[in-house]
Amino acid sequence: MTIGPFMSSAPLTLGVELELQIVNTHDYDLVASASDLLRVLEKKKQPWDVKPEITMSMIEMATGVCADYSEVLAQLTEIRDGIVACADRLNVGICGGGTHGFQHWGERRIFATPRFDQISGLYGYLAKQFTIFGQHVHVGCPDPDSALYTLHALSRFIPHFIALSAASPFVQGHDTGFQSARLNSVFAFPLSGRAPFVDTWEDFCRYFDAMAATGIVKSMKDFYWDIRPKPEYGTIEVRVMDTPLTIARAAQLAAFIQSVARYVTLERPFALSDRDYLVYTFNRFQACRFGYEATYVDPSSNEHRLLSDEILGTFDRIEPHAMALRADTACAALRQDVLEARSDAGLLRKEWTETRSHSEVVQRQCQRWRT
Amino acid sequence: MNHDFLPVGPFETGILMRAAAALLCAALSGEGLWHFARLPRITGYALVGLILGPLGLGWFGPADLPLFRVLMDFALSLLLFELGIHVHLRWLRDNPWVVASSLVEAVLTFGAVFAALVLTGNDARLSASIAAIAIGTSPAIIMRVVAETRAQGQVTQRLFVLCALNMTYSVIASKLILGELHGAFRGDWLIAVIHPLYVLLGSLGVGAALALAFKLLRGGFALSDEQGVAVLFALLLLALALLEMLGLPVALAPLLGGMMVKYLDPRPHLWPRNFGTAGAILVIVLFVMTGVSLTWGSVAAGGTTALILLAVRGGAKIAGVTLFGPASGLSVRQSLALGLALAPLSAVAFLLVEDIRVLYPDFGDRVGAVVLSMMAVMELAGPVAVQWALRYTGETGREQTS
Repeated sequence: MTIGPFMSSAPLTLGVELELQIVNTHDYDLVASASDLLRVLEKKKQPWDVKPEITMSMIEMATGVCADYSEVLAQLTEIRDGIVACADRLNVGICGGGTHGFQHWGERRIFATPRFDQISGLYGYLAKQFTIFGQHVHVGCPDPDSALYTLHALSRFIPHFIALSAASPFVQGHDTGFQSARLNSVFAFPLSGRAPFVDTWEDFCRYFDAMAATGIVKSMKDFYWDIRPKPEYGTIEVRVMDTPLTIARAAQLAAFIQSVARYVTLERPFALSDRDYLVYTFNRFQACRFGYEATYVDPSSNEHRLLSDEILGTFDRIEPHAMALRADTACAALRQDVLEARSDAGLLRKEWTETRSHSEVVQRQCQRWRT
Repeated sequence: MNHDFLPVGPFETGILMRAAAALLCAALSGEGLWHFARLPRITGYALVGLILGPLGLGWFGPADLPLFRVLMDFALSLLLFELGIHVHLRWLRDNPWVVASSLVEAVLTFGAVFAALVLTGNDARLSASIAAIAIGTSPAIIMRVVAETRAQGQVTQRLFVLCALNMTYSVIASKLILGELHGAFRGDWLIAVIHPLYVLLGSLGVGAALALAFKLLRGGFALSDEQGVAVLFALLLLALALLEMLGLPVALAPLLGGMMVKYLDPRPHLWPRNFGTAGAILVIVLFVMTGVSLTWGSVAAGGTTALILLAVRGGAKIAGVTLFGPASGLSVRQSLALGLALAPLSAVAFLLVEDIRVLYPDFGDRVGAVVLSMMAVMELAGPVAVQWALRYTGETGREQTS
């Protein structure tokens, strides 16, 4: 098995995928209604891209190829409204957030497709633990080498993306202390982590073939990397974000990633090196655990600083690019959130303190998803 | 020496001892069925009721029922209140097809049962009385089987809603016909109109009072689980007392109250399912005692008709639900299973028969012969049908082992 050719796509175009939670409206636990929801959606005969995910209480929505922030937001709004209308007909709730606050993994059911059955057979309970909800952002790349460059350059910003999207403080009914506990479930997979440091497509294919020869992987889908190339689309896919509580924030995050991608590809502000990855897992852990309050170690200078300061600095550096992409209002909104230390994880914790009920927190998540 | 403290024969097995034996047998037979055959526990309870009742050993008879009546009413009102909380009125506005399929299912059931009875040579009044009772699905059976199998999903939640609705129609239709009986038997047509109206408005009133009291208490105090259940038990007992005082049926008010609670306060309601251990014991009493109500006399008089009616009724429910199932967002498979799961008949039907019997004993006996025979079959087969339907649609969860 080899990877197909890397399709070219218009640089810096965007595609956004969001994994969503399906909950009942009685106690707001997850409910296995994905196939019901898909059946009702199908009857609407709309071109929306909505797919099943590994367990029956998840669903994934995706935009088409978008030029900019406003297009992403418009498409997400349309699909969101369609899904919510269908969910209302079935009396189920739909919400964002990286984890479900109090579900028990043992009660999840695998969506019956050959691939999901195979994953479930291989990974056992890990597959059910994988009932977590992420946002994936595709960024278009003109050729495979520039895709690999962008991939490794964006790796420095993984903590930024994590802190800005973090929306999973609760797991199985307990506060984990993490801002994004969702990623801990991803790290349990043996093929998670980061792509190997190679900068030409030829080398990348060689790595893939060697891995395929071991029999461990069959396709790119078997790698659960934080950022991975998607040759069929001609994109790289950033996968570390929690699904935010609102589509507004999901669109803002896509705009931010697009602006950073433009900044690193046009300005080439730093030379890439395998050495950059020495601090990678530390930085990533810090961002998951502490969010804006994390310690960020600069891969070039080894300087330690507060992640929020690092993010604010990034906003300053990418500003001209954000303006060129008409992503500046989106970035300004995220920047304001950092300044005021607002995050979705913080919001969920605040609501738990108010209600003392995980069910009520999920109920409010459903209401917020409609806004 | 004085031997006064020693008991003096002859010894009689009092009601307490028989009740203890019945409880023990029911618990063991329910657990046995579940453990060895994965059949619903309540089928075991009902089986013990039938065996210990007049049909079998004769330990209990209809004469014992008044003693247990208050426990049965209470068990039923708990289950109905919980069922009401599961009914989301806002959903019915968002998806009117659910209401449509409920109405069609109920009208078809009434029509089919009525027609079958008239065609087999019964008079219209008797046929209508039985058909009205046949509309309703047993909330007790549904609530218990769903809790036992931890079912969740579209079929489960529609089962709750359709059951709540058809039970409401059934009670109202039955009272309308009772009104007609007042007219026919007493020539008093004013009462014929006022009685059903009084039942409906009175039940709404008591239900609203229950809902408001519940909401106030819930908002005012942060009750722990145990205290919360105690408070709820007290409120429901109070409601029962009120209903008795006002001469209203037990079945409607707790259900309407539960629905109003959910409507007034859409926040999640996290009472322990079926109110924990105390509730579970009440459920055993409810199912054993409904089994006791059947006598050989009624089986002889109504047995054959009952079997025919059950077939007709089941077919009507399946057809009715399947007609609008797909429009309401179900697959055909789910619609068929939902129709089948609506088959159970139990305590509410029993109470409706009792209500007729109190006012018109002879007529009530004729209704009872058929309805109680239908009920006896459904007490055993109904839970199994519901369980099968929920498994068939893949909605049962990790099943309770203890």
